[in-house]
Amino acid sequence: MIHVPAPDPFTVFGVPRSLDLDARTLERRYLALSRECHPDQLRSQETGDCLAVLARAAEVNDAWRILRDPWQRAKALLESASPGVLDRNKKLDPGFLAEALELAEEVAFARGDTIAPLRARLQQALDEDLVALRDHVGRGDLDAAARRFHASHYHKKALQDLDQKA
Amino acid sequence: MGIDLGTTNSLAAVRAGKGARVLRDLAGEALLPSVVCFHPDGRTIVGRDAKAMRLQVPDRTVFSVKRLVGRSARELEAEAKGLPYRVVAGERDLPRVQIGDHQHSPESISALILHQVKANAEQALGQSVREAVVTVPAWFDDAQRQATKDAAALAGLDCLRILNEPTAAALAYGIDGTKDGTALVYDLGGGTFDVSILRIEDGVFRVLSTAGDTHLGGDDFDELLAQRIHKTLPKTSDPYVLQAVRAAAEGLKIQLSSAESAALDLDLGSHGTTRFTVTRAEFEAAIAPLVQRTLDCVQRAVKDAGLRLDEIDDVVLVGGSTRVPLVRARLQALTGKVPHTGVDPDLAVALGASIQADVLAGNDRSLLLLDVIPLSLGLETLGGAVQKLILRNSTIPTSVTEEFSTGVDNQTAVDLAIYQGERELAKDCRLLGHFKLRGLPALPAGLPRIAVTFLVDADGVLRVTAREQRTGVQASIQIVPSFGLTRDEVRRMMLDSIEHAQTDYVAREAIDVRNKAEAMVRGTQKALALSDLPPDQTYAVQKAVKALAKHLVAGADTATLKAACDELGKLTATIADDVISSAVTKALREEHKP
Repeated sequence: MIHVPAPDPFTVFGVPRSLDLDARTLERRYLALSRECHPDQLRSQETGDCLAVLARAAEVNDAWRILRDPWQRAKALLESASPGVLDRNKKLDPGFLAEALELAEEVAFARGDTIAPLRARLQQALDEDLVALRDHVGRGDLDAAARRFHASHYHKKALQDLDQKA
Repeated sequence: MGIDLGTTNSLAAVRAGKGARVLRDLAGEALLPSVVCFHPDGRTIVGRDAKAMRLQVPDRTVFSVKRLVGRSARELEAEAKGLPYRVVAGERDLPRVQIGDHQHSPESISALILHQVKANAEQALGQSVREAVVTVPAWFDDAQRQATKDAAALAGLDCLRILNEPTAAALAYGIDGTKDGTALVYDLGGGTFDVSILRIEDGVFRVLSTAGDTHLGGDDFDELLAQRIHKTLPKTSDPYVLQAVRAAAEGLKIQLSSAESAALDLDLGSHGTTRFTVTRAEFEAAIAPLVQRTLDCVQRAVKDAGLRLDEIDDVVLVGGSTRVPLVRARLQALTGKVPHTGVDPDLAVALGASIQADVLAGNDRSLLLLDVIPLSLGLETLGGAVQKLILRNSTIPTSVTEEFSTGVDNQTAVDLAIYQGERELAKDCRLLGHFKLRGLPALPAGLPRIAVTFLVDADGVLRVTAREQRTGVQASIQIVPSFGLTRDEVRRMMLDSIEHAQTDYVAREAIDVRNKAEAMVRGTQKALALSDLPPDQTYAVQKAVKALAKHLVAGADTATLKAACDELGKLTATIADDVISSAVTKALREEHKP
């Protein structure tokens, strides 16, 4: 078997490369594709190439997992639009990193009453990251979008750490 | 045909029109007790007649064999002590039921039950049946699924699909097309507990998440009552007494589902007599911790589905043990929904299985089941950590390709160990199998790029392929169930992964940091040799590398290593766009995939 890199999830679903995809439309597309590709539906048809059927069904399920999550969708979009863009933009603004460090400390020392407001702030920061990322993509500035994607990791990580404490 | 191979009872159903119907034997009974009696006169009796022999030949009458399937003898040791029949260790530590001079595998006993189900079904249908969908608890792992498949084959059945019980029940519940929405299926049987969250829409039954416990059911309720009865009797391990007390306990439990108290008058002849009374309140207090364990699973499943409890539209009860009033009350209190009782909890699984069998036979293309894998799959990486590749509750079929590299220069073979479970460390997960990739090109550590693809098919069977990207060398295996680890760990894996999340995290972090440090030392040294840096910078970098290497040799703690890594990272990072920075990044990427 020759290793073929998986097509990007937008291609698998046949939808535009966009961050603004309607959740309901995507879900309907997923169900329609599943009806087309699931091995159970093809079982009676003596499909010669079983592995190909499986691979295709797996592709659909995996594309769905990526597309329904806004962050994974953003990552896939950036990589398909400009391969390597995420690797090229790993260096973040020192000012931001200092802030992120402070946030991490706040999380480490958060106790009782301070946890809920901190969680709200982190969630808001994450929401803002997504809005900004979308703006950058809209303007065609993929480098800035990639940096914002990396930046959002710090907020996600902080939120995770906070949840683990709770 | 769909077959529900249960811990306590088994039955079959076939598709009929838009719905399905269960098949009944000549006496009109649908449920076949999952009991096999190896009578001293040489007959093998299955079902109701076998159950009736429980007291006459207690040590030759086997019940609840499903609890033994796919497990090792060592894991079953404690449980086997309470059984009236003998369970011994056979080859490869597989459990064997000892009847006289003969040893029977759990698979072969399950096969006897399946064979009887098949015979009864053929009688009812007036024709022979070969193909069947057989159900298992959603929480069954690879080994248990495989053992069930083996039993079906032994019974002369072609097993079209191993189907998860709660998924089958949801199919029976939602088949009429009026139940679109989100359903929670709570399946408490004789020996196992499952909960699944499904979304039903336009004939597509999509499992969003599943959780459970392969060792929790009505048998455990009986056992708690049996222990109380034993306290009123002289201590004994006589098989007759064990069976009699067990039967009496089950009777009490059933009475307590409708009565506030139940009394027992047991005359065991030379083994003593007892008058025993138990109130429902006492019974409920005894089983409350077990019921709570099921509710914890429910909450985990809801969370894994990305939902809140109030987003569940309907609660469906499956399994005979959901007749216990406390179970219904606690589940209703938790979910705020009156559980749906439209489908008989004893029959739902078989009915659903027959519908899926019909779909697989190509007769009904309006329905589609999208199920999930219950436990995560991953590979062991350096230092005994498990890198998860396929997360639990991923819809199957699914595949993931990840790139790995070698840890030693000129390494030409890579051994990959595949694990199933939720814990961070390999030793806490279940080893599914090993495979070897040979003939790698001799390259410095970190240079080979090995793409490993995990593909889980619609049966939930894992296929793994691995390929070195530069040379195209490829290896693959079919996973062979391994009995190497204790099953208790599998059963507890999910709970443990929550209880031990913190210690796991610390251990995992220590391994990660160490791997990262080693990669940094190697990568930086290699890059320094290639680079053309000004002497002062070379010196500074060398100093930091040496410091880090020294900490590694000294076995420094995680925090120290982290600090030294950061120090070296800072130095290499300041040399912007330089060869070192890129080489280190590269080495790290190869070594330390996220």
